[in-house]
Amino acid sequence: MALDDAALAEAVIPPTRAEGNGLQPSFDLHTPAARDGEWLIRPILLFAALSSGLVVTVVVAFVFWRAWPLWHLEGLKFLTTSGWDSQLEDAWNSGGVTFGALPLVVGTVLTTVGSVLVAGVVGTGAAVFLAELAPKWLRGPVEAVVQLMAGIPSVVYGLVGLAVIVPYIMNNMIPDNAGQVLPDIPLDGTCLLAGIIVLSFMILPFFVSVALDALRAVPRSYMDGGMALGMTRWRAITTLQIPAATPGLVAGIVLASSRAVGEAIALSMVAGSLAMVPEFNHGVLYTVLQPIRTMASAIVDTGADASDVPSIASAMFGLASVLLAVSLGLSLTSRWAFKLFNMRTNVVSERRV
Amino acid sequence: MNLTATNRRAQITSILGTVACWAMAVLVVGVCVFIIGYLMQQGASSISWKFLSTDPSGSIAEGGGGGVRVPLVGSALLIILSMLVAVPLAVASAVYLAEYMDEGRSLTRIVRVGLEVLAGVPSVVFGMFGLAVFTLPALAFVSAAGADNHSDAYGRSFLVAGIVMGIHVLPFIIKVAEEAIRNVPRSYRSGAAALGMTKWRAIRKIVLPAAGPGIATGIILGMGLVAGDTAIVWLTLGGTMTMAADAWWAPSNALTVLRGSGSTLTTFIYYNSPAGEGNSIGLAFGAAVLLIGLLLVLNIITGVIARYQARAGRAA
Repeated sequence: MALDDAALAEAVIPPTRAEGNGLQPSFDLHTPAARDGEWLIRPILLFAALSSGLVVTVVVAFVFWRAWPLWHLEGLKFLTTSGWDSQLEDAWNSGGVTFGALPLVVGTVLTTVGSVLVAGVVGTGAAVFLAELAPKWLRGPVEAVVQLMAGIPSVVYGLVGLAVIVPYIMNNMIPDNAGQVLPDIPLDGTCLLAGIIVLSFMILPFFVSVALDALRAVPRSYMDGGMALGMTRWRAITTLQIPAATPGLVAGIVLASSRAVGEAIALSMVAGSLAMVPEFNHGVLYTVLQPIRTMASAIVDTGADASDVPSIASAMFGLASVLLAVSLGLSLTSRWAFKLFNMRTNVVSERRV
Repeated sequence: MNLTATNRRAQITSILGTVACWAMAVLVVGVCVFIIGYLMQQGASSISWKFLSTDPSGSIAEGGGGGVRVPLVGSALLIILSMLVAVPLAVASAVYLAEYMDEGRSLTRIVRVGLEVLAGVPSVVFGMFGLAVFTLPALAFVSAAGADNHSDAYGRSFLVAGIVMGIHVLPFIIKVAEEAIRNVPRSYRSGAAALGMTKWRAIRKIVLPAAGPGIATGIILGMGLVAGDTAIVWLTLGGTMTMAADAWWAPSNALTVLRGSGSTLTTFIYYNSPAGEGNSIGLAFGAAVLLIGLLLVLNIITGVIARYQARAGRAA
């Protein structure tokens, strides 16, 4: 914003005084009015910054405090035993207090790993396209679309997934003999595969924007040097640019997985919301057609009951504490990867000088 | 070594790779265009004046259905409340981080890491946190409804959701606002100091106005996050589609509404999707079109601000 002299003068000199006597100094640094609350504002701002930063401490402390009874009672058995759905019913009806969240852990791991793989491959391709291959006029619009995609709410992804992907899987992918192979499992199209597809496109834009920044931060001289040595553009991209950008790509992957782990509503809609460890021994197709439930979607599905039943509340906070620990770990990892990446590119630019 | 063969192989990989990258980009753009187009095609027909101006019916027993007036107002109300919580705190924190912070001090580094970690916490954890905190009996004054037969408070209300949502979007707004403040040229500050302004006066009169468009971008980003989130709303605003008072527009009911549960566009979509109890997908599509429209408008505003800023930057 450009500021003209009049605006500056207006800002410095209070108008009432400026209009008074032209001969008097327009303001005096030594009067309290001129100090203008300077002594007061610093602690106020510091307090604001501290409280913003310390909110995270409050959240973490509260979640672990509420999860403590569960960990104390069950320990790691919480994560290594099954039975979640029926135990919730027990807790609701007859006051059961033990929970086994293994199916939720497996569901979270499968959806996260699957979607990060898909988003990593597709996203790297799209980022290379945007950074190197796309004609100039196409870059702006494609980037705008990616940005728009990042803004689509998860519930809308879930709705479109339910209306498009789930019926497609139900009508075209479930084999006729599925009822005999997996007699006890409802196969209605809401499944791991639908979850992975929907989740992939949800995390894709976040990965693309980080990957794009990373690719663009690689010094031009890398590509120029490679191509001067007779490399094709593609070879220069794969052997020079992508390896140089790897820590940035890793940071993008970590960021994307942190979103995937925490996604609740879309997966609760399209992935079946049944806490079962998939039966792996019938091949890949049967595995991905089975319904699952993730930790985050379990919280959004049953969290509302927590205020009525204390043991459900502690189970919810057990899950929340796991999610929190994972997201803390991922945040710190991506921070570290970004640092590594900045260090490398700085070293390179110093050498260039 | 056969050079021509190696060359040909290199060429073929090069072409294949390039084609693959084009295909990925087309896939990404195609999916986004498909989602928007599909929503428009499915949802446009349900949007009518009646859809916009009637409230959702209270229960499935009444045949479900109804319009989106309450969810629309709920989304707007939640955006306003959460911005009231987040914006003052975010701007103050951003000013401190950009202008007053001593980068070397460990305290400020803790604040920085804390904010970064906070941005990564899944919203469903915030939702659970909010529900549990505000069901504490001592905090019943922000969510009185339903507390009659419990020692606990109900824990779900517009006020609760606004506070929790404000905390959730705080780090995102701080980040954008801090960047905007840092991007104000040094010369503005030196000029102000040379004219005898105190630091705070210079910030108030020179730096903050100059950073205004950038800060506005951060606020709009936060509004988009609030409008799009479902998990926090579902847990801390409750799963009821109607507001606590039937005549929610009456000023005398304001407090009842703020302390009562309700719905937003996102929970309305969830409730009416095949996965929810309402299960009337036409309504869900109609609400989804409105929600996407709202987010598009926010997106366009940030685009306009960015363009305006680029032009102002060139002029300066």
